[in-house]
Parts: sequence; C-alpha cells; structure tokens
Amino acid sequence: MKGTVYLNDKTGVVVIGATGREASQVIKESEALYPGIVKAGITPGKGGSTELPVPVFDTLAEAVKDPKVGKLLNTALIYVPPVSVLDAVMECLDNGIKVLYIITEHVPIRDSEIIFQEKERRGAIIVGGTSLGCFVPSVGRIGAIGGKDPSVAFKDGGIVVISKSGGLTVTTAEMFKRRGWGTYMALAIGGDIISNTTYSDVLKQIKGDPKVKAVVMLGEPGGAYEEQVADLITSGGFDKPVAAFISGRFQERMPEGVAFGHAGAIVERGMGKATDKISRLEAAGKKHPVKVAFYYHDLVKAIESLGVPRDFEDSTAEHVKPLYSTIQR
Amino acid sequence: MKLYEHEALGAIFKKYKIPVPRYIFATEMNEAVSQFVEKEPGVVVKSMVLVGKRGKAGAVKVVSDKAKVAEVVKDLATRDVYGEKSIGALVEEKLDIEKEFYLSVTYSTKDRAPAIIFSEHGGMDVEEIDPKLIHTHVIADVRSVYPYQIRQFLTNIGFSDKDLLRPLSEVIVNVYNAFVGAECRLLEINPLVVARSGDKRKIVAADAVVILDDDASVNPAIAYGARSAQGRPMTQREQDAILIDQGDHRGKAGSYVELEGDIAMMTFGGGGSTVTAETAIEAGLRIANLTDIGGNPPAEKMYRISRIILSKPGLKGVLVCGGTASNTRIDVTLGEGLAKALDDMNAEGKLDKNLVWVVRRSGPEYVKGLKMLHECFERNGIRGEIYDSQLPITEAPIRLKELLIKHTGYKPEQVV
Repeated sequence: MKGTVYLNDKTGVVVIGATGREASQVIKESEALYPGIVKAGITPGKGGSTELPVPVFDTLAEAVKDPKVGKLLNTALIYVPPVSVLDAVMECLDNGIKVLYIITEHVPIRDSEIIFQEKERRGAIIVGGTSLGCFVPSVGRIGAIGGKDPSVAFKDGGIVVISKSGGLTVTTAEMFKRRGWGTYMALAIGGDIISNTTYSDVLKQIKGDPKVKAVVMLGEPGGAYEEQVADLITSGGFDKPVAAFISGRFQERMPEGVAFGHAGAIVERGMGKATDKISRLEAAGKKHPVKVAFYYHDLVKAIESLGVPRDFEDSTAEHVKPLYSTIQR
Repeated sequence: MKLYEHEALGAIFKKYKIPVPRYIFATEMNEAVSQFVEKEPGVVVKSMVLVGKRGKAGAVKVVSDKAKVAEVVKDLATRDVYGEKSIGALVEEKLDIEKEFYLSVTYSTKDRAPAIIFSEHGGMDVEEIDPKLIHTHVIADVRSVYPYQIRQFLTNIGFSDKDLLRPLSEVIVNVYNAFVGAECRLLEINPLVVARSGDKRKIVAADAVVILDDDASVNPAIAYGARSAQGRPMTQREQDAILIDQGDHRGKAGSYVELEGDIAMMTFGGGGSTVTAETAIEAGLRIANLTDIGGNPPAEKMYRISRIILSKPGLKGVLVCGGTASNTRIDVTLGEGLAKALDDMNAEGKLDKNLVWVVRRSGPEYVKGLKMLHECFERNGIRGEIYDSQLPITEAPIRLKELLIKHTGYKPEQVV
C-alpha cells in the first residue's frame, strides 16, 4: 500500500454535501489535480445531477450499491452544515464507511461527543471536525488542503505534519519545503474540543511506517492532546524525531476564558496551558528525540538539530528580501 | 458563552429540576424585592457579574437586618467587581447550611467524554480543595446515564452520608441532563449545599456557573445577547465588528478583541493569527487587537474590518499577516478590500501616514493581490514592506519591530 491509513492508493472518496459551494469547488479542483480519488457525491434531492465530475446520489445507500462506484467507496468527506454533521456521520458509519473526514467547523460539542463514542464502538477512523483534510504528495489529497496550486507547499519527502490549524498545516509544509524537507503526509486534525483523531492517534498509526523520518506537530492551548504525545513518547510508544510548536503562550497573560482561535483553545480552570504542554514535551525531550521550538519558525532549526536528513536542497536565500518596499530598511 | 447566575437559574436549573433557593433578581431596590425580603428571615445578596471569586471581592453578602437590605442591594447591583460592572443583584433566601459539596460537569479531553466532578469538601475555590478529595466520574456512554451509576460512583469514593445517596444521585443526574440538554461546556455548582429545613434535609444549588457551547444548535449569543468574554462591556469597535458577519455567511471577518497596545493586527486564520500575535508579543510589540479573518470573505467584509482595526487611536504600526491560504483570495481581501479602505481613509483625511506596515501573505491570487496592495501603498504614501511566503510567517512581526525601531524610535517591551 502506498500512503497511510488516512490516504492511500486504495482510497475512494464519497463527498457528503457534494453540491454545496465549497464542496463542489474542492471536488472540481481535486479531480483536476489528482483524478480518480473522489468517486461519488451525495446531496439529497440532487441524485443524478451532472454538475460535478463524479456521479451524484440522493443517499449513500444508493451510492454503495452502485455497480460502478459502490465497491470503491471507503472514505467520506463531510461538508454539511454543523447541525447536520451527526446525521451525515451516522449515514456513513451505517453504510460501512470506515474513514471519515469532517471538514465542517462549529459542530456542537454535544454532537461531537456522540460521534466520538459511536466511532469508538464501530472501530472507524474520523478526522475532525474542523479538519482541512489530508495531503500525501505521493498519492494525492483529500479536501481543500493546499488550494489550487499545492505544489507551492508540498513535495514528496519524509516529514509528517500534524496540526490542529488547517492553515498552518500548509504554511508549515511550505516552510520546510523551502528549507529542503518534503512532506510524507500532512494531516489537519482540527481544533475541536472533542477531537476524533488526536496527535497520539496519528503517531500510533504511523509508528511502523519506514517512510516517516520525523514528525512536526503544531499544538494549541486547551485540552490534553499535546500532553498525551509526551506521555506516549515517554512510555516508548513512538521513537522517531518529533519537533513541536505550541502556540498561545500569550493567552496566559489575558483573562481566563478569552476565546481566540479554535474552540478547543479556550483555557478553562488553569488546565491545558501552553506552558504546561511545552514543559511536558521538553521533559520528554530529555531522553527522547523531541524538540520544542520557541518561535514557530524555529521548527526548522529543531528538525535540523534532531539530525533529520534533508530530502532535497535548501532553496532559501540567506536574508529574505521584501517583494515590494516603500520604506528604507 | 458564560451566563449570569440569575440567567442560569431561570433558564436552565428550573427546567431540569435542579433545586435552588427562593430568589429574585433586580437591577435596583424596588417593591418586588421589599416584598420578597419581608417573607424571609434573612437573605443573601450577590452582584451579578461574570467574573468568578465574587465572595473574596465582597460582592456576596449575608443580610439578616432587614433595614440594611436596600443599602446592600443598591451597592451590589451597581458596584465594580474586579473591574467588571455588576448588571444587578440576586437576592436569595438564606439557607441553613449543614454541609457544602462541589459539583461540576464538563468535557474531559483526556477521556474525550463528559465528566462529573464531585467533592464532599466544597464551598471554597476548587483550586484550593486537596486534589485527593476531588473525584471524577467519566460518562463512557452518553446514551444511558442513571442515578444508580452515580450511587455506585459515590459509594466507590467512600461518600460519608448514606441517607443522601438517593436524593444526591438524582440531583446529580438532573445536573448532568441540564449540562447535555442545554449544551453546556461547563456547569458548576459550588457549593451544592445540604440545608436544614425543619427536621428535614434538602440538597440545594447555592451557586450556578454555566458556560454554554458557542457552537450549540441554538446560538447562545442570539438566546442571551452577545457579550464579551473579557468581563467588560464590549467596546464600540467590537460591537461594530460583530455586525460584519451577521446575515452573511461568506467567510469570517468580524472577530475583533480590543487590547491596549499600539500595533494593529490584521491577521488571518485561527492558527496563523494566534502564532502571529504570539510572536509579536514575544518580540516586544504591544498589540492593539486580536482578530482572525478567514474562510474567503468578500471584499466588503475586509473593507469594514480594516477600517475598524485602523480606527483605534494611538497606533504606531500595522501587521498584515497570514499563512498560505488554501481558500481565501488574496486579490479580493488585500488587493480590493484593504486597498479600498486605505484609499477611502486617505480621501477622508483619516489615514495616518506615520504608520509603519509589514505585510506577509500567500495563497490564491497572491501575486496579483500583493501587487495591487503595493500600488495602493504607492498612491497613498504608505510606508512599509510586502512579503510573500518566502518569509516564514512568524518572522514578519520581527521585521516590523526592526522597522519601527529604526523609523519611529519604538521602544519594545522587555518580555521575560
């Protein structure tokens, strides 16, 4: 198998809410870049529509029975409004889909909890909510990650990027590409409070994969998912180099409960502070190949200091000059 | 979104049958309060603020002398509590308290499940309770929660008052049902008291902290009115910003939290905005606001938030910063929206030419968008540098700092 459990050469995607504004744009763009990954779309009432480069069905039950595409569907990409996400997830699980991406933001926490418990019972993999998708340069992509021209940010290599922030997933892959490291997989896990796929979940999945040279993880305040990585590494559950950056130290100088960024980033009752996450990971770094970057851009130095070999040449100038300037430096 | 105590009692505790003291809420001393007080042997008066630890600030008072109630209500209904202005007073019956428990329900990210947190030693700040005396019951299956499970939990932790097992387990299940039914992030009762009532004992919630899920199926800002999480009234600019996204779901440009600094932040994406703001602070810049623009907003939204961000008095610099967008059009947001705001402000004589700008952005149509913005800088005499993604995102605040020091003599904060 080429790729990972999240995206590989056997992945066949069905998009739920396929004819919506964002979903239809993503399907068209993705099919132009990596034809054949998306196999079908579902929009109730739009069955038989020919507006997309893939067949559209009213229900997932019809799609999985379809003689042409039915057997190829194993992954769902969910683009429905927040209050319909639980329904869409249940439709996928009940129709045998085992890997799901929830792209929708602002899913009610109560629904997220029901989704998480149901996924555990069924043994499925769900990424999100608030995922931007997954990129595996040697295979293709799921979701909008990387936009119209993903080659700016993504080139095949050995780094796995795992981030709560979708935007930073791409920004980080690009920063490393400019400095000589390519991406094996970039996964935007989303910043929801109840996260269906955590950093540790991903590390457990990829730990035996020889293609993985190192992991770059981008964390945020709130919750315990970053701390779990420190625990996993300390207990010997992952032994490859990990460079981490935890954002949000500045929030600790603000009143508790100030909401900024992702829903999961709200620090409540002194739990989930960025500085605590940083010190837990730094402690793990005493005996294991873990390095925490102080500034986000120091992630490159962290990977360098962990001895991760470059996949190709460093293409950055010594000192980056502005594109335009109306001021004297 | 956090609720005031009287909102929690009226909208949630009543519906889910969580016993509470007799109470009345008032913004000032009035006839209804006098009648209420007349029937009570003693009352407790509390300032209605969102900030916690009111007792320590003297904003919770027991009043037994009826002659003094009016004075206390008047004081607590209007006073400042840790800088937050009270919106009224809650007047409650004074309970005959036998003991105080701590009870809360929240989501545990460690378990990825709701958790009931209970201690027999309530009444003080939860941070002050010995962690060994705080017990957690994780709800592993949200489909079925029954009082017997709570009784098993209570006996397992050695709960000392066997007579209370049944009534307490029923109250706790009601509290859990309120947490789920009202779509809370946190529901906390501290103290949950055992009160004497004649020769009987009853369990009563003597406090109510409710934080609702901002993403709940019914938007709490619509149900209860928008409020700042900072424990202060919203500024005019914050209120204006909220209006930007109302009734228009194309992208998001209306998040704006005003701070005291002098560097305007025009930042994009949840993660990108956070790391940029953070690096700016670590570099010693005093940021004037937080914002988080994303989801490909139309030019009109970008125009409005740009004008709001730039309208704050006393600014010295502007940082326009985002990662490599997958979706947000750079020509539309920066080339059209921001550029038009700058053109109009200049035409109206409202553009401060002394500001120093650093722009760092990439994404769809960025070549065109950054060129358009540069042309706008040229025609309006704006001083600054424009970068694409060759510059790592978090080096942009550092470049701005260097320019500010050179051109304006800016003195960065010494960050420890």
